Amino acid sequence: MKKILSAALVALLVLGVFSGCSVNSTVGGKTLTFWSMWSDGEPQAEVIKEAAAAYKEKTGIQVNIEFKGRDVNTLLSAALESGEKIDIIEDDYQRIAQIYGQYTADLTEMAKAANYKGYDCLNDQVIAWAGHLNSIVEQPQVGGVFYNKDAFAKAGITAEPKTWAEFLNACTKLKDAGYAPLALDAAYADFTFYHQLVRHLGEKKIEQLAMNGGWGRETGAVAAAQEIIDFVKAGNLADGAPDEYPSSQNKVGFGSAAMVVCANYVTAEVNNNCGVQLNWGLFNYPTVPGSDNTSAYAGANSLAITAYSELKQEAFDFIMLLTTGEFDQKMADKAAQIPADPANKAPAHLSGTVETLLAADAPMTWCAGINANSDLINSFKSEFVKLYEGKYESGEAFCAALDALYK
Amino acid sequence: MKKNKLLIFLFMLPCVLTLLVMYVYPVCRTVLMSLFRVESLTAGTSEWTFYGLSNYTTIISNNTFQMAMKNMLLIWVAGGVITLALAMVMAVVLTSGIRGAKFFRAAIYLPNIISAVALATMWVQYIFNYDYGLLNELLELFGLEGFKWLGSDSKFWAMTASFIFGSVGYYMLIYISGIEGIPKELYEASMLDGAGKITQFRTITMPLLKRIIKTSITFWSINATTFFLWSKMFSPIQTEESTVVPVIYLYDIVFGGKGIIQRDAGAGAAVGVVLTIVIVAIYGVMNLLVKDTDMEY
Repeated sequence: MKKILSAALVALLVLGVFSGCSVNSTVGGKTLTFWSMWSDGEPQAEVIKEAAAAYKEKTGIQVNIEFKGRDVNTLLSAALESGEKIDIIEDDYQRIAQIYGQYTADLTEMAKAANYKGYDCLNDQVIAWAGHLNSIVEQPQVGGVFYNKDAFAKAGITAEPKTWAEFLNACTKLKDAGYAPLALDAAYADFTFYHQLVRHLGEKKIEQLAMNGGWGRETGAVAAAQEIIDFVKAGNLADGAPDEYPSSQNKVGFGSAAMVVCANYVTAEVNNNCGVQLNWGLFNYPTVPGSDNTSAYAGANSLAITAYSELKQEAFDFIMLLTTGEFDQKMADKAAQIPADPANKAPAHLSGTVETLLAADAPMTWCAGINANSDLINSFKSEFVKLYEGKYESGEAFCAALDALYK
Repeated sequence: MKKNKLLIFLFMLPCVLTLLVMYVYPVCRTVLMSLFRVESLTAGTSEWTFYGLSNYTTIISNNTFQMAMKNMLLIWVAGGVITLALAMVMAVVLTSGIRGAKFFRAAIYLPNIISAVALATMWVQYIFNYDYGLLNELLELFGLEGFKWLGSDSKFWAMTASFIFGSVGYYMLIYISGIEGIPKELYEASMLDGAGKITQFRTITMPLLKRIIKTSITFWSINATTFFLWSKMFSPIQTEESTVVPVIYLYDIVFGGKGIIQRDAGAGAAVGVVLTIVIVAIYGVMNLLVKDTDMEY
């Protein structure tokens, strides 16, 4: 009896092993494997699943989606290096271009054949990094000053500020109307101050300074820091700012603050956190005297096809289905994001973002200048937080503190 | 006997193979990798370039690594002293026969059964919140101004305090089990000799808990060295100097971050080796200081 039971258990085990091995194969049909950066249950994941079902109905091709979550980047390199069976990957477009570049397919010809347009500024950036188009934008992002239009109206601000002087003037009006002008979480202190630095110095110069030091000798860096010191002293930051993410940005949703410097996802986050549908507006970070720099942050989460995929065209067709037309519109509406297809319409709280992206020529990357020095990134960030905490008396003192990091 | 040896070998084989593949191989690879310039963690050995001890000199001279080691040391020493002392006091009090001991034991242990993510979120978003946080509400009750608990100067201590809150119960249970293992007769005899509670604690409890304390210090050292989640929760988007610890530094240099594409798996491996040496050194010192044969009962 024991022997029969043992034999049955062994047979079951063997069957289990073999059935486990066959999970990813579709008998008699093609199967695409897609590693997504979303988690199952998120709005983006729901739309992707809908698109996969529609794609299967249309072509008979099954799309196996593995939702790996935001930390997909910790898995992708190993998976791509070992040639794991993946056809489509999804991650930040800079990482796809610069880290996974050699493992991704050149999509130029397929994009041309499909008459793919997208956003020039993002596609050009990918080509500049990777040497060719190796990803298709799925979730474009744009940065700048996001504000509550109703607060601006209440404060009597009729035009979006374009210069630093106009910005300070708007801040005064907002304070008079009972609003804290700018919300700021410590998590975004580097991104916010980076704008001020870029306006004065441009990204290339910042990168040089980040690598070699010499901040104190650069009048632009001193001026940028001094402007922020004066800005903070004038009481333009929300109470407690720089606060712990997302406490300060939520104050825009709760109606006590009016503006926040971030990328567009802040609007959906604040709406969700505060249970409101804020009347959001966006304007580019103001320009500073003596500089014509007007660049704005643009970025994306994108989709790419592995270089070793045997189903490149099929994978590309699925990507097109997901990032254009009906499903892209669904993605924009459900996930409250900018549509990847410029022909589609952005949700109300992101109105104007498609036009901003279409008009952008040289986008700013996420703190790229200071990120160039990976040894000092965290130290830079701490100094930037201290700057907004009002710990420095002058721009010179702040720049001296930055220079001290190199000793 | 021959058959028995073969059977023993066969039974051990899966275990030995698993140990070799899942533990010995990664350890050897990490040590080896720390001597090479390697960008990606899983890059083939053909892509490795011999770098000698340069990965070690690079991380040791790196600002962030120095700050991370300093933070780790503070968590280990300051956090360790406070956590283990509090746990000991609570264990002694709860085993002294006070009323409601079971309730307090459960209440103090409670943070350990709550997810650390939920616990950290509670501290960051509620207790330390500047506008409506528990601590600032209390300060307001006494007519004092709110304090920025998560400001750049105080964030590290706020994080350490939250971590201590989440850890005390665990060590308290270890001590309780140790104290309950001490024969009651020793206390009774000392009481007859006129010893008070403090004398009993000093002359009976502490000496007989030596081995338990040694184990607790080793556990705490491992916790402090592998400290990761609390640091991530207190600096959610990008690492900050005030909360950086070696494992976070390792994670950042191996995988990059938002807008950061530089990766250095070789340096990451060197960080891993340094941390292992730290733990082994602490374990060695503890073994030297506290001999297993010191006290028996």
